[in-house]
Formats: sequence, structure tokens, C-alpha cells
Amino acid sequence: MNFLDLKDATVPGRLDNVTLGLPRGKLIGLVGPNGAGKSTLLRVAAGILPAEGSVAWNGRLLAGISPLERARCTAWVPQEAHFEFGFSVRSVVAQGRYAHGDDESGVDETLARFGLAALAGRPVNRLSGGERARVLLARAIVTEAPLQLWDEPLAPLDPRHRLEVLVLARELAQSGSTVFLSLHDLSLASSLDILAVLCETRLRAIGSPGEILTPDLLLDVFGVRASTAPSLNLELP
Amino acid sequence: MRAFHSGMILPARLIRFVLPALLVILAGLVLVALATGDMPLSAARVWAGLRHGDSVAATIVWQMRMPRILSAILVGAALSSAGLVMQAYFRNSLANPGLLGVSSGGAAGAVIAIAAGWASVSLWFLPLSAIAGAVAATGGVLILARHGASTERLLLAGVALNALLGAVTSYVLSQYIGLYERNAQILFWLLGGLEDRTWEHVAIALPIVAAAALLWPLGRSMDLMSLGVSEAQSLGVDVRRVRRQMLALATVLTAVATAVAGAVGFVGLVVPHILRLLVGPEHRRLVPLSLVGGAVFVLACDIAGRMAGGLRLGIITSLIGAPFFLWLLRRLP
Repeated sequence: MNFLDLKDATVPGRLDNVTLGLPRGKLIGLVGPNGAGKSTLLRVAAGILPAEGSVAWNGRLLAGISPLERARCTAWVPQEAHFEFGFSVRSVVAQGRYAHGDDESGVDETLARFGLAALAGRPVNRLSGGERARVLLARAIVTEAPLQLWDEPLAPLDPRHRLEVLVLARELAQSGSTVFLSLHDLSLASSLDILAVLCETRLRAIGSPGEILTPDLLLDVFGVRASTAPSLNLELP
Repeated sequence: MRAFHSGMILPARLIRFVLPALLVILAGLVLVALATGDMPLSAARVWAGLRHGDSVAATIVWQMRMPRILSAILVGAALSSAGLVMQAYFRNSLANPGLLGVSSGGAAGAVIAIAAGWASVSLWFLPLSAIAGAVAATGGVLILARHGASTERLLLAGVALNALLGAVTSYVLSQYIGLYERNAQILFWLLGGLEDRTWEHVAIALPIVAAAALLWPLGRSMDLMSLGVSEAQSLGVDVRRVRRQMLALATVLTAVATAVAGAVGFVGLVVPHILRLLVGPEHRRLVPLSLVGGAVFVLACDIAGRMAGGLRLGIITSLIGAPFFLWLLRRLP
């Protein structure tokens, strides 16, 4: 059974009749040009933006799931966050346990995992963009939600942290979670299990990166020409 | 840049002493307020009066000073916590309880009651008209900003309503320019104050206790609401319910406080701000602290006003509040 099923999901002007199913235990990328509807699709999937059509998690319609249970099923990482008040890094990550009665389980381990332990007491509105992005990811991981929806989590990160986040996402997928993330870096995208391509608010294609990232599609959707010339290849030591 | 609505200036180990310290200060202020006034009382006479051992002192303490003190405490707690709620709701540390027209609705209601002469019929009519005006204003904002009531829409509706109600108040005031006595009464009310508060006023203020009790458990949800609706929702907050509760509680707190003390400004802005600087932004801590801190601030301002020869409470809070606000604006990044 798919973990997430969208059927004819439509948000007028932003998303047009998107039907897709995401299987359990996969690392799935969402690519598309600016304004294609990636953030909208992720918000609809997370149940925080109402849409026409239907959204189902694990076969259950989203509308019938209570707010607390929703938060235990899915975690959403916004593309950017505005913190008016200076919560400490640790307390922002601990917010991920709200739906679990604020038990703070796994908070310190996750902080360490994201290299945030030294920043734990720092006000979150005095972090760099990349640090803040890691805080938001850590908060999503701490929820232990099996459906992880991340809106361009890699964009503000340096190369090393990007690779670390991808490794973590891979581990989550291997342990049975579904990780669905939007990204612009097509060479990183080519390492994921499945890619969905959005173009002008419609789902253009979905499949393995090898099937999807064809020169024709790249030219048509992104207006870029692909070359297989030797390129810089980065990996964790 | 030094800690500005980001870090806290108190070391973590001292934070748990803030609430007891505020309670001790409040108790001290109550004693000072019982002893000072047109007829100063010694500590011994205050004590005798409290135990009804001295009938003159007992009258002063129980009939004149105690209702005023309790009104100050309740009004301060209400305005300060209402400000805290509005700041979390609008995710803006400059939000204040009057943002949605609640206070100006209350003012318009009270001014109309005075102008029409109802206020002199019964002691209850003025505060009840103020509450009616405040509730009508909130209802107006909610109707204007229907369809999910986005934050911007609510804010704009509040701005419009504040302007409208201000015009109503000014119009009434201008119509009674010849009637000196009523005009003075209106002006007196618009300046906000706690003179001649009676046990009836304390009774009118009692819904503040209930609203404060309902606010207590909302602290954690308010943390998440201050991140924005989408994030709060994704983390498990029942956003629609919590937003409704926050608006309702802020309205009740502001309306009742306005009904009891007239238009008292800046409490809801200053107190939560100082507390946030002291102990950080977590609302589970800030809710109880803002209740007690607001009581301390308003009671202290009222005592200061009495000592300064009867300066109105609304003037004192603004005299302290407005410079603080300007300082704040200067420190904004």
C-alpha cells in the first residue's frame, strides 16, 4: 500500500489535478522550475493546505485524522521560517514532540546528530540560514513521523551538510519511512529512489531518476541542456 | 547587539525565582497601597483595620482601598496577559490588546452610556456598556474578516474599526462640549483610572480570573502558534480551536479590564516585553508571569499616581509605557 496517495489534488492556480502515490521506505525527490507548485504540493500532502480532490495517508483520508495524530504521522519542513521570538535551538527542536505530550524523547540525540549541540542554547533568530535549516530538519526528525515532507531542505546547506542530510534521509527510508523532498540540484536528485517532476502546476512525470532525467525532459521542463561531461563528484569521507 | 527579544538576560538558574519574586513584590505593594492615601495609616492600623479591630481603619482598608487594589491587580493581570496573547496570535512583539478595536469599542460604549445619562442611573450601566461596546467591536472585526480570518485581514479590520470607533467617541465628545459635567466625566473615563472603585467593580472584574485560568493551559500551544499557522498545524496544534480560544480570551480580558478601569494603555505591550527579556519567549512561563507582572505594574503605577497627587492611571502607564515603546522601536533590527 502507498504511504501517501493524492488523487486529483487541485489548488486553483497553484496545483492542477495531481494524482500520485508514494510507497513506503523510499526516498523521493520533487523537482520542477520555480513556481511549478512544489511547495504547494508538499503543503497539500502535509494536510496544512486544503485542496480539492483527496489526500490519504496509509489508506486513511486526511480529513478524518485528528490534528495530534496528523502530527504523529507526518512532519513538514517549511522552506523558510520566521521566528519572531527567540526560542532556543533546543526548545525549537523539542517542539517536534508536542504531539507526543512534550516528552522530549530523542531531542538531545537529534541535536548532536545535526551538529547543533553546541548551539542548543542559542536563540534561533540569531542563527545563519543554514543553521536554521538544520534546526527545522532536526525538529522534523524528532517527531519520528513516518512520512517526512521537506521543502527545499538542502538549498541553504553547505556541501557537507547536504550530503549528511541525504545520508540521514536514506537511513530513514531504509527504516521504513517515506521521505519526500523538493530540491533544485538535479545531480543530487539523480541519487534518489524516485523523482516526481512538476511543471506549470501539473505532474509531468514520475519514476526512477534514470527514466525521468532524459535530455528531452530537461530541455523541455527546465530549459537546460544535459551533458555527461566529467563533473565534480562530492561524497562524505 | 545585546539581547533584544531574542536571548534572555537572566541566567537560567535564576528564572524560577522570578515568579516568587514578583509575588513578594506584589504583596509588598498591596501593603504600601493599604497604608498610603489621603489618610496615611501606620502598619499597626492597617493590621487592625484588616482584622476589623479599628473601625475607621477598617472602613478605609476594606471599603476604599481594598477594592481599588483588587481592581488594579485584576486589570493589570488582564491587560498584560491579553497583550501576551495578541503578540503570540499576530506573531509580532508590538501587538497590543487594543489592536482589534476591543478597547476603543469599550470606550465608545462607555462614552455613549455617559453621554446618554445611563451611567448615572446605576453603577453597573457604565461598565456593562463598555463590555457591550467591546464585544460588539470584536464581533464587527470577526464579521469583517470572515472566511478563515487571515491575520492580515483581521489586522486591517481592526485598524478600520479603531478609526471608526475613535470617530464615534470624538463625535459624542464634541456634541457635549457645552455640558461641562458630562464632558468631564467622559474625559475622566477616557484617561483611565481606578479612583472610587467599589466591590461592585471587583465583581465586574471577576471574569478575568476565569479567563486567566483558561489561559493557563494554552501556553505551549501559544509557543507553536507564534511560529505561524502552518507550522503550528503541522506540529499538531488544533489551530482553529486554539485561535478561537486565544481571540476569545484576549477579548474578554481586554473588555472587562476596560470596563473596570477605562482606557489604560501600554500595559499589554510593556509587561510581556520586559518579561520576555528576562525569562525568554516560552509561553508556559510567560502566562503566569504576565498575570502577576501586569498586576505589579498597574498597582505600582496606581500608587505612583496617588503619590503624585492623583495623576490618572492611564496617564502614568503611558508616561512609562510610551518612552519604553520608543526605546523598543529604536532597538528593532
